[in-house]
Amino acid sequence: MPVLHDDLSDFADSIVLGLGLSSKVQPFCPKYPVETALDVYRNNYFGNLHDALAYAYPVIEQLVGKDFFRCLTKQYIARHPSASGNLHHYGAEMADFIAGFEPAQGVVYLPDIAVLEWACHRAYFADDGPTLDVGRLLKIHPENYVGLVLHVHPSSHLVRSSYPITAIWNGHQPGANCDFHINLDSGPTNALVSRTNNAIIVSELGEADATWLQIIRSGVSLGEATATVLECHPEFDLLAALVNLVARGILIDFTLENTQ
Amino acid sequence: MDNRRIITAAVGSLLMLGLVSGNAMADDKKMDMEKCFGVAKAGKNDCSSNKSAHSCAGQATKDRDPMDFVAVPKGTCEKISDGQLKKM
Repeated sequence: MPVLHDDLSDFADSIVLGLGLSSKVQPFCPKYPVETALDVYRNNYFGNLHDALAYAYPVIEQLVGKDFFRCLTKQYIARHPSASGNLHHYGAEMADFIAGFEPAQGVVYLPDIAVLEWACHRAYFADDGPTLDVGRLLKIHPENYVGLVLHVHPSSHLVRSSYPITAIWNGHQPGANCDFHINLDSGPTNALVSRTNNAIIVSELGEADATWLQIIRSGVSLGEATATVLECHPEFDLLAALVNLVARGILIDFTLENTQ
Repeated sequence: MDNRRIITAAVGSLLMLGLVSGNAMADDKKMDMEKCFGVAKAGKNDCSSNKSAHSCAGQATKDRDPMDFVAVPKGTCEKISDGQLKKM
């Protein structure tokens, strides 16, 4: 076994790092020179990971163009070997990578778009959740509503950005009008990601609602979260927020805080 | 209105509306049951377009990366106002 392990490591280094094979590995390759066969394998490796990234980051690819994107992914793949047997897990570090990728510095909103796209990617493959059991909620005494701890669907994510990432993302979806006009200076946004009927939806959430949802996500009770938000955002409309988030299947369950 | 009354009123109102959306979501759930367990994204539900998960298509043997020198984004970012002007 140790011999096989060493051989496989040697082979992996050859593929990922572009090194030559050590002499003890003797691949069975009757029709081509070994180097040619390794090139084929190496190109498949990089090509598959490139495709995986293009699949997870279609908006980034459109924003920077296919050539630039290939240049970007080539360097990403060289620094981030796949760590999972499931290619859908590949690409998690893209936002950080882009933030440090010199040629992309001019596109200042690109890292935030990558965060949003990864959230969408994870949302698509997230577990199903229950739907809010209204019958159970009806049994809670109104006195205890403040102690409700609301649970959020596993596919739901909130991405905050200084740039209009929701508009940029939606402008690059299939069927969207590509003649968009987006002003980068339109102020910070909160992009809310959710999944309905297996489709990913990204919509904008107001500052008060986003702050509230953020607090709710951390497991704070309805009473405490609402009080906190109302201090900074007296205009916060709890009913509207609840209706929106329940209708979109983002609030899916609840428990009662013990102290209530 | 104090916090408790706001919450009682909001959840009470939600319950009246919630019965409707609760029913609507039952359909959602049915749709979810039909999902092919994460094999492909919606609208890309066939082998060939989900290459990322299981590519059987061989890549060319020639190096596909001649663009190390292409270090300028050339996509739709050019159309987003001020996008290129901020730092470059």
